[in-house]
Amino acid sequence: MKYIRVNKILSFCAIAALALSTSSCKKFLDVNDTPNNPLAIPPNVALPGAIVGSAFANNNELNRFGSVLIDVTSGAAGSPLRWDRYNTDGDDFGNQWRFEIYDGALVNYKKIIESEGKYQSPVYSGISKIMMAYTFGMTTDCWGDIPYSDALKGNGATQPKLDTQKDIYLGAAGIQSLFDLVKDGMKDLDKKGLLIPKTDDVVYGGDIVKWKKAGNTLLLKLALQISLVEPAKAKAIIDEVLASADSYIKSNSENLEVKFGASVGSRSPVYEYTRISSFRTDQLISTRFLTKLQSTNDPRLTAFITKPGANYVTVDNGFAGTVPGFDTRSQFGNYVTGINGEGPVRLVSNWQRAFILAEAVLRLGTAGDAQALYTEGITASMQSAGVSGTDITAFLTANPTIATLSGTNEAKIKQIIDQKYISLVGNGFEQWTDWRRTGYPDLPAHQNAVGIDGTRPVRLQYITQEIQRNPNFKTGILPNVKVWWDVN
Amino acid sequence: MKKLLQSLFILLFVATSAMAQERTITGTVTSKEDKLPIPGVSVKVKGTKSGTVTGSNGKYSVQVPAGATELEFTYLGFERLSKAIGGSTVDVVLSPDSKVLTEVVVTALGIKRQASSLGYATQIVKGDEVAQKSDPNLLNTLQGKVTGVNITSSSGAPGSSTNINIRGVTSFNGNNQPLIVVDGIIFNNGVDNTQNTLFGSQPSGRLSDVDPESIATINVLKGPAASVLYGSRASAGVIVITTKDGSGMKGKTEVTFSSSLNLQNASYLPKFQNEYGQGTQNNFVENSTNSWGPKFGTMPTVTTSYAGVVPYQAYPNNIKDFYKQGSILQNSLNIAGGDKDKNFVVNLGSTLQSGIIDHSKYQRHNVQVGGNTKLRNGIKLGGTITYVKSFTKNTIAGNGGSAFGQISRIPRSYDLSGAPYKNDLGNSIYFLPGQNHPKWSLENEYLDNRIDRVFGNTSISYDIADWINVGYRITADVYQDDKNAINRLGAARNPGGLLGESGILRGEYNGDLLINMKKNNVFTDGLNASLLLGQNINQRTLRASEVVAEGLVIPGFDNVSNGTVFTNSSATREMRRLVGHYAQLSLDYKSYLFMELSGRADMSSTLPTNKNTYFYPSVAVSFVPTEVFNIKSDVLSYLKIRGNVARVGRDADPYLLNSVYVKSSYGNNTASINFPMSIGGNSIPGFGASTRIGSPDLGPEFVTSYEGGFNIGLLKSRVSVDFTYFDTRSTNQIFNVAVSNSSGYDTRTTNIGEMRNRGIELQLNATPVRSSDFSWDVSMNFTRIRNKVLSIDEGVDNAPIAGNAFVGINPSIKVGYPYGVIISTANARTPNGELLVNGLTGAFAPGVPNSVVMSPQKDYTLGISNRFTYKGLTLSALFDINKGGQIYSFGQTDMRGGGQIEMTAKDRDQPRILPGVIANGDGTYRKNNIQVSAQTYWAGLGGLASEGAVFDATSYRLREVGLAYSLPAKLLTKTPFGQVSLGFSARNLWLFAPGFPQDPETNSSGAGNIQGVDFNGMPSTKNYGFNLKVTF
Repeated sequence: MKYIRVNKILSFCAIAALALSTSSCKKFLDVNDTPNNPLAIPPNVALPGAIVGSAFANNNELNRFGSVLIDVTSGAAGSPLRWDRYNTDGDDFGNQWRFEIYDGALVNYKKIIESEGKYQSPVYSGISKIMMAYTFGMTTDCWGDIPYSDALKGNGATQPKLDTQKDIYLGAAGIQSLFDLVKDGMKDLDKKGLLIPKTDDVVYGGDIVKWKKAGNTLLLKLALQISLVEPAKAKAIIDEVLASADSYIKSNSENLEVKFGASVGSRSPVYEYTRISSFRTDQLISTRFLTKLQSTNDPRLTAFITKPGANYVTVDNGFAGTVPGFDTRSQFGNYVTGINGEGPVRLVSNWQRAFILAEAVLRLGTAGDAQALYTEGITASMQSAGVSGTDITAFLTANPTIATLSGTNEAKIKQIIDQKYISLVGNGFEQWTDWRRTGYPDLPAHQNAVGIDGTRPVRLQYITQEIQRNPNFKTGILPNVKVWWDVN
Repeated sequence: MKKLLQSLFILLFVATSAMAQERTITGTVTSKEDKLPIPGVSVKVKGTKSGTVTGSNGKYSVQVPAGATELEFTYLGFERLSKAIGGSTVDVVLSPDSKVLTEVVVTALGIKRQASSLGYATQIVKGDEVAQKSDPNLLNTLQGKVTGVNITSSSGAPGSSTNINIRGVTSFNGNNQPLIVVDGIIFNNGVDNTQNTLFGSQPSGRLSDVDPESIATINVLKGPAASVLYGSRASAGVIVITTKDGSGMKGKTEVTFSSSLNLQNASYLPKFQNEYGQGTQNNFVENSTNSWGPKFGTMPTVTTSYAGVVPYQAYPNNIKDFYKQGSILQNSLNIAGGDKDKNFVVNLGSTLQSGIIDHSKYQRHNVQVGGNTKLRNGIKLGGTITYVKSFTKNTIAGNGGSAFGQISRIPRSYDLSGAPYKNDLGNSIYFLPGQNHPKWSLENEYLDNRIDRVFGNTSISYDIADWINVGYRITADVYQDDKNAINRLGAARNPGGLLGESGILRGEYNGDLLINMKKNNVFTDGLNASLLLGQNINQRTLRASEVVAEGLVIPGFDNVSNGTVFTNSSATREMRRLVGHYAQLSLDYKSYLFMELSGRADMSSTLPTNKNTYFYPSVAVSFVPTEVFNIKSDVLSYLKIRGNVARVGRDADPYLLNSVYVKSSYGNNTASINFPMSIGGNSIPGFGASTRIGSPDLGPEFVTSYEGGFNIGLLKSRVSVDFTYFDTRSTNQIFNVAVSNSSGYDTRTTNIGEMRNRGIELQLNATPVRSSDFSWDVSMNFTRIRNKVLSIDEGVDNAPIAGNAFVGINPSIKVGYPYGVIISTANARTPNGELLVNGLTGAFAPGVPNSVVMSPQKDYTLGISNRFTYKGLTLSALFDINKGGQIYSFGQTDMRGGGQIEMTAKDRDQPRILPGVIANGDGTYRKNNIQVSAQTYWAGLGGLASEGAVFDATSYRLREVGLAYSLPAKLLTKTPFGQVSLGFSARNLWLFAPGFPQDPETNSSGAGNIQGVDFNGMPSTKNYGFNLKVTF
């Protein structure tokens, strides 16, 4: 009797256990699909994040660094203070490399390109390729040799090999050049697709014509970058663009610039770090930049620099004394930050294009009138800063040595870069990169400079953490080692 | 496995029915102590193989052969008794066995075992060792009392979490906190951090929901062998907590009321200098965080932009006065009654704590009702349910923009407590732009969390026969954790204000089927066997949502409707399930040789469907030579030798198999972007690839453990020694391995690596003096654990531990080093290890990045408790040593480099020389002889991201002192009281930390895998107070 009951219960248990351990158990355990994250996203959702990533990388830490290094701002505390003494190392820019450039912008451009078939979205691929070329260009300009053809492969290459800057610009076996990447993108823009960008394109709102102009203008910028090491190639590219039916950026409304917003979490980095965050006290405008504008009565002064009281308050680069209090300091003006943080972040601009072409005429003998292009650059920059036509004319009249290119080609190039430098305020990366390439403008050494050997850094040191993770990176390449295109 | 079990069944049946029978003897077995019948007593006919066990009423009936003369009665916890067979009835009374080895221990799943039978180490802490110890956090009160366990409280913030690791860290990435089981309920001891741990507030750990006053015993199951039946989550050890119940009340009902009031003070603050004030290089600078300014007395006043003309003088107590006296009031009421079969318990508790800084507090209210009964048909029912409500409020901490980020940067001439800290508009007034006055921060930047938690169990069991019991138990633990992060307008890290309102609902449900079988004299005389078969169904769920309101509009209005931007809001759901089957066979041969074989197979929802099942076994053996060989003497009371080999598998966290996409965001505290962005009136969405590469073929990770040890009782058990050596290997670790960021990702999830923990646990108990009035007990707990990461992955030498970290200061795993070392920038050194100095500046040469600069691993920990009892008076003291281990401290680096601490004022006007040598350029070195100023010297010792921020964390501490007096019983005869005791208790009364100017037991990351960091957290406290305990 007893045993029967036992057996009954035991068999019940056995059945219950068995039932669970077979089919129903499988179902019971099938709960591992995440409800928290999508497993795929369409390109119109991926594109804004990627483009903003490129703009963020340009405008945040690289800009904080570049602006200090190039005498637009002076460091008062924290990292800008170190940079003001030329001190930078592999712990700087880790977040830019990691979260903004490779794992923010670039990987998502790649995802968009890869998903073109699924979403029938060639225009997104086109935009992504152009922006990818811009972003890789910025990255190699900063760090020299970088992972490029082997990058962004995820599990396929967790320790990507590096390509030389030369191969990235010019291409090689298995390496598509930056120029071809841009051209590829421009071709994609012509393809018909189902998914078309609109407001999710935070640059042109889906205007494909403008993207093509941007692509061509980016080619100009990239070509000029290698003009000292590869003049023939640079000239060929520029000639091609000048002959292109797609044209290039010709008005300020065609600038490749990324717009930001006015509310928390939407504002441009330079607005955040100079006006809002607790890091806002880390820098102020350099006396050198102020003096440069004041000495010529540059009408852009009030747009570029704030005047907190009766006077502009700045300090010299490398200044070691007591820095004036935050509320009394001159900072980047609304032209750079936007009134409430809207930016924009100007990645490639109309005046930049004009200065590029002006320099190319002199340096490479490309078609065009250097003087006219130069004046166009100054004018466009001033217009962008809200300067009236009358004031522009007055400025050029009052400053004949600025208005007219004179002397040797080299002297003229110096004049061009000098004005280009002013016009690129708020894009420390471009200013620094022009200075490295041309040596202009003339920048006296900072006070109390230390650095590696007392000289202004000419590259960014590889990220310490990245070296640690990827043995393909060479160690010991310090910030005083020039990159490939930097030959002067 | 199934086959094996089947044959065991058959054998058991055969053994039962194969008895020769001649006459019947019946009788009842009762306990001498409470005169109650004892069920389950083994009754054996001496000289034969026949025998039986007593039923639930203590009665037995046994067939004995004609020639039999004696019956032998044995039962766990009672002395063995032989009685001659007189008539047909033999009633016996068993006396409890006082020997340590026969102590009954509650092991995994509530199984009771004789201590001598255990092939592994466990350690029991009794309720009175954790009650009324001046600390409402249970884990803190366990410190120094258990071997093999490392407990670190994170700060003196009320309710803050405490880290506990048993036998070291065994998982690279997983939860290394032990599994907590309260009355059979798998109990969540998580810390739900909704904030970045570098900049957040200390939320409470969920074990703090257990009121120490309600605890009867705590059993620490240290190794995998002890915990294997709990399955996947027990690889970090198990803490089995049993709360007070009525089963021992012997029919009475008893009411116990206890109350204590403790006071708390910030303690072990560094010694400050009071000779020099704010500024640098001997100049006053109004917004400098340094105290390298002019000597006091050189100028009477200074002019500041924030407060006008103020005296230039030392404020010696400016930091000390920032803290206030805190208090902890604890009351609890316990009502218990009934007997072994039918009983009930009611526990009520209340804790009210006010912290050592303004606006910080911790409150806990708990009520528990439980009971057991046995129906007339023999079915046993039981259950308990507890409701806990707790509230914690703490300021945010961390580097820079927080009260504690500022407190290490206060110049000696700044009147922190006296100067006005806010203006009429409520805005902060402070010397440092971009930052807020710490008092303003306390008022306006904090986190509060409210917990509503219910946990309980209900069980049913039935003795189908006297040798088999079947039971089912359901447990549930559910809590709602509501957090409010307040950063009012003007907060340094969120100048536009931020309100985070989050609700976290966690639930864990378990169903356990347990079949217990027990048979004596199987196969051969004296071999007793018991077999446990079980099934566990587990489900864990999480539903969390958070509304984050930014861009606040109305000052002081703390409702999220005050926000204009909500892009950081989020919702998360999680569900994981597990089905486990397990079996344990325990064999006992003549009470001197024991073996336990266990096995468990788990199926987990978090692993790939086609490979979600994994099995792990364990075997434990113990041998008691003193029971076999005649070596027992007055000197050697007993000796037991034990050993085991065990393996425990652990599944993954949910949702690790796929690569996913996440909402895009950029930046940090310099500037940041969160999607959707609002651009020109359009809301722009943004998603991107997550930085982690998923692993579709992930497998479980394993911990394999080898353990050996012995117990010795000496001098009539006046001295006992318990020694354990263990070696555990963690393999196949589920880890997010760092990948080169240029791959487009940051990590990939995979099974990799191997880690080893080796350790020694030594427990010594002695009673040097024992007389009728006076006794002196000493107990010593020694632990030494060596952890080493043996391998990570092909070509990967190190990897950061998951969690928030500053750039260049990475808590990491690194091959050849203990878990949790910090990789940062080390000072440059010569091949001989001498510090290298820059020959031009006299400062240290540029450091070497990617170097291990700090290890949190302790050399050893030693706790020594002494207890003196004289009549009703008991004095106890716990002294502990934490030797070795290092701490990475921002606060100390700030105060040293900032010239605040005492030693920086000594001979300040004299030049100094940093220790080290200068390279001559030809491979030789000369001693550094370059003189630098005191400021350059002290700042030159190292900044935040450098080896100079590392300190030795060794501490010698008087952890606990208690004095209790029980009123003599005769005084109470005419009162309603059964017992009255009064006491004094104190914590942290004395500390000596030779290598660190403050209390090195701190961790600003809270409970978790990142240990030994002091990134501007709160100081520890000294607590003392009085307590009262009354029973009715």
